[in-house]
Amino acid sequence: MSHSVSPDAPTFQDIILTLQRYWAEQGCVVLQPYDSEVGAGTFHTATTLRSLGPKPWRTCYAQPCRRPADGRYGENPNRMQHYYQFQVLIKPSPENSQELYLDSLKAIGLDPADHDVRFVEDDWESPTLGAWGLGWEVWVDGMEVTQFTYFQQVGGIEVDPVPVEITYGLERLAMYVQNVTSVYDLVWSYLPDGTPMTYGDVFLENEREFSAYNFEVADVPMMRQKFDDYERECHSCLEAKLPLPAYDCVMKCSHAFNILDARGALSAVERANYILRVRAVAKACCEAYLAEVAGSNDSEGEVA
Amino acid sequence: MADTRSFLFEIGTEEMPAAPLMNAVKQLPKLMCAGLDAVGLAHGDVRVVSTPRRLAMLSTVATQTDAVHDVKRGPAANIAFDADGNPTKAAEGFARKCGIAATELVRREDTDGREYVFAEKDIPAAPAVPLLSAICHDVIAKLEWPNYRSQRWGSSHDTFVRPVRWICALLGEEVIPVQYADVTSGNTTRGHRVLGAGEHVVANPDVYEQVLEGAGVLAEERRREVIAEGIKRIEEERGGAHVDTPKKVLDEVVNLCEWPTVLVGTFDEVFLGVPHEIICESMLSNQRYFPIYDKDGSLTREFVVVGNGKPECADTIIDGNERVVRARLYDAKFFYDEDLKVPMEEFRARLASVAFQEKLGSVLQKSERIEAIAAALAAEAGVDGEAATAACRAAHLCKADLVSSAVIEFTSQQGVMGGYYAKAAGESDAVASAIRDHYRPRFAGDELPEGIEGCIVAVADKLDTIAGMFAIDEPPTGSKDPFALRRSAIGVLNILRTRLKCGYDKIVDVALDAYSSQGLSFEHDEVADNVRAFIHGRMEQMARDEGLSADTVAAVSAGSVTVPADFFVLAHALEDARSNDAETFENLATAYARANNLRDASLGADVDESLINEVEHALFCAVVQAEGRVARAMDAHDFSAAIAELASLRKPVDLFFDRVKVMDDDQKLRENRLSLLNRFVGVFANVADFGQLSK
Repeated sequence: MSHSVSPDAPTFQDIILTLQRYWAEQGCVVLQPYDSEVGAGTFHTATTLRSLGPKPWRTCYAQPCRRPADGRYGENPNRMQHYYQFQVLIKPSPENSQELYLDSLKAIGLDPADHDVRFVEDDWESPTLGAWGLGWEVWVDGMEVTQFTYFQQVGGIEVDPVPVEITYGLERLAMYVQNVTSVYDLVWSYLPDGTPMTYGDVFLENEREFSAYNFEVADVPMMRQKFDDYERECHSCLEAKLPLPAYDCVMKCSHAFNILDARGALSAVERANYILRVRAVAKACCEAYLAEVAGSNDSEGEVA
Repeated sequence: MADTRSFLFEIGTEEMPAAPLMNAVKQLPKLMCAGLDAVGLAHGDVRVVSTPRRLAMLSTVATQTDAVHDVKRGPAANIAFDADGNPTKAAEGFARKCGIAATELVRREDTDGREYVFAEKDIPAAPAVPLLSAICHDVIAKLEWPNYRSQRWGSSHDTFVRPVRWICALLGEEVIPVQYADVTSGNTTRGHRVLGAGEHVVANPDVYEQVLEGAGVLAEERRREVIAEGIKRIEEERGGAHVDTPKKVLDEVVNLCEWPTVLVGTFDEVFLGVPHEIICESMLSNQRYFPIYDKDGSLTREFVVVGNGKPECADTIIDGNERVVRARLYDAKFFYDEDLKVPMEEFRARLASVAFQEKLGSVLQKSERIEAIAAALAAEAGVDGEAATAACRAAHLCKADLVSSAVIEFTSQQGVMGGYYAKAAGESDAVASAIRDHYRPRFAGDELPEGIEGCIVAVADKLDTIAGMFAIDEPPTGSKDPFALRRSAIGVLNILRTRLKCGYDKIVDVALDAYSSQGLSFEHDEVADNVRAFIHGRMEQMARDEGLSADTVAAVSAGSVTVPADFFVLAHALEDARSNDAETFENLATAYARANNLRDASLGADVDESLINEVEHALFCAVVQAEGRVARAMDAHDFSAAIAELASLRKPVDLFFDRVKVMDDDQKLRENRLSLLNRFVGVFANVADFGQLSK
């Protein structure tokens, strides 16, 4: 595919590196992605669990997200079942949260002074996490590039102090900055001889294969079984007072559910029941984490 | 009034959503005036200035409260002091209540010539600023966010609809100290994020709006004007074009900017081939763009976007927005084109893997049932021939679009897309329209399906859902109605009442039979009764909601008329008759109740004419006559006439109860009279239970 990305435009990886550098300077712990399938950067323990309790916490990380139902076999230029979010979490939310965010846009070449940046009401609720917050989707010239949320509740627990979560849609942002209309034309990086490595070079095959897997191949009874097994395992972990492995099981349940959903295997009621089951274990993990780790003052803080 | 000063109170926030903001704009002056009045601070009118990032008000307020000489009369002097002239308990209690010592009470004669004690107090003037500090704080805390939530931020526990970031509070040039959450008031406001970034000093309230305008911020009315002018210009430039600005979207757009710039963007011609419902939903709901129609009412490729950036960056802003709309419409077109390649029957077959409800099978099974119900309903409504065939065909295909890509993406276009796909597949207009409309009415006040075929499918679909949920014993409860059965029942009733004119009693059986034949087991008769009672209950509620008195509704409800069209006409006829001649109907109701109480079904309704006197005979004749006339009137659906016939029984029955001793010692006479009353009650049976009117 041909493309005409200006050599001055930041590459996909430049954007990630710049954001990491920018938020590192704001005192964030620069983390790596959670090493299990997650539907959103929010599910990373560094956001969900670290939102709980009184201790200050600042982190940022890029997180690959899996949304099996969003796969389009690599044929849709805007939509994928695997994509990246850049996640920032700051607790307590600072007075200048919005200004910090706007300056980060400037850092990656989107100076708000030259564009139309809006904060458009978009309150966030995750039934599976028993979490909600108020905030916005941020538009740059009409394009939604970021989700900006002040958490109020996580795992059914009131968060205090309040964290602010900033979630950048990296592909959208990069497409805008590089002025390309297909995600697969994004320049990820350049080889030494100047040949661009595109997003398509890196991920197109992945999209094709996983779309087919999620929609056509994934074994429905196996996924149901997987859900049941990990739900049980989660409870075992909780009994052993191990909230982190328990939470890991919640992620597995959640992903199994997402695949079942993509397979069209769930009725509305069944779907609601699965969501309730995920919420129940997620909530239990949050409560256990608060009780065992975040609520106490002498925590070693080993969590990632 | 004391000296006054201009007063400014601005709550500066992060971007507030339109709906709660507009609600707060209404609350703010009331709360502020109530606060000022409560402490006796004189003030002028309140003017509200709002943008997404500020909720502010301007007024004039006295620099202090007026000094007050407060006089309260206490007990009479002879009660307040004992024989020795010492204050009594009564005097002490009064003094304490007034906050002074009993020795400070003054005794003197009042205008009635008696002597009382008085508590007199000089309340000095209080300076405004400390009072305003407290009032301003309380106003922030008291603002409510109905149908919305408020939030905390940082480490503070105070709440607001979005974080409060600054407070500008001035009385004249003096800063009113206000503390809320982690914010302390000052004399600065903040400007537009890029047109007037940062803090701006407000020297005094009179220059507030000037400072705002200088910092790129316009109040709501001004923003509305600018947007309206921009749209008018665009319409004029395009010779009679029309820009569609639904109120809800316009309100949002007005409250998504502080300095609006009205711009026009364009999308590619090719997207006009996509159903316009999808294009418009995508533009209005997702992007808050306003579609432009040409002078003939056809959708054009142009749209209005209201920007909030620097006007000189218009090209960049338009370009960005066009890219967004291109991506969205590309998606829509892609889905639509892909969908068109799939035959309707294939979509329908795929419904087998879409569950309708855990215990009620797939959507394919649902569509099979809808088809069966539609056929029965068409017959019941007297719809035959082509229309009945079309209704059944539409029922067959009505759910097919649920598995189409376009509907998966644009859920609210379910039905609409099915209509397009049916048309494209060569189905008739009647079939396509019926598919398109069968979800209607989707909300209170929504239109009913256009054609009779759509009405049939809509009722069949809704009745199927209601019947199924009752069959698995999951009827709606007070708090839970996940399938919106109440709304469905109201939809069913509205369509039956105004369009199909038939009843639902038999159709409920058909709907339940359809489940049985698919293998669901349940107690048919019991469930059918419950379903009918549920629908009947909604019908009663609708009748009360349209102003019919509860007892009229109860009376008609207890009669035998259940066909919705008749039910409402009868209820209205009875209500009208009662309000035109209240006395007759009250008497009749009393007599009916009395007769009904005495009723003894075992005696039957055969009257032995040889045993009756003149008064009884008069009632007997009237009853016999009414029996025939009421029956004929009911058959002719002439409910006013039926009720008039019942009213004609008032005089003879009154006379009967007046003159005749029903419970005569002679058993034969007594039983004959009771039979006559049975017969009298029987006349009402098919119309209404008049006993309900006597309560």
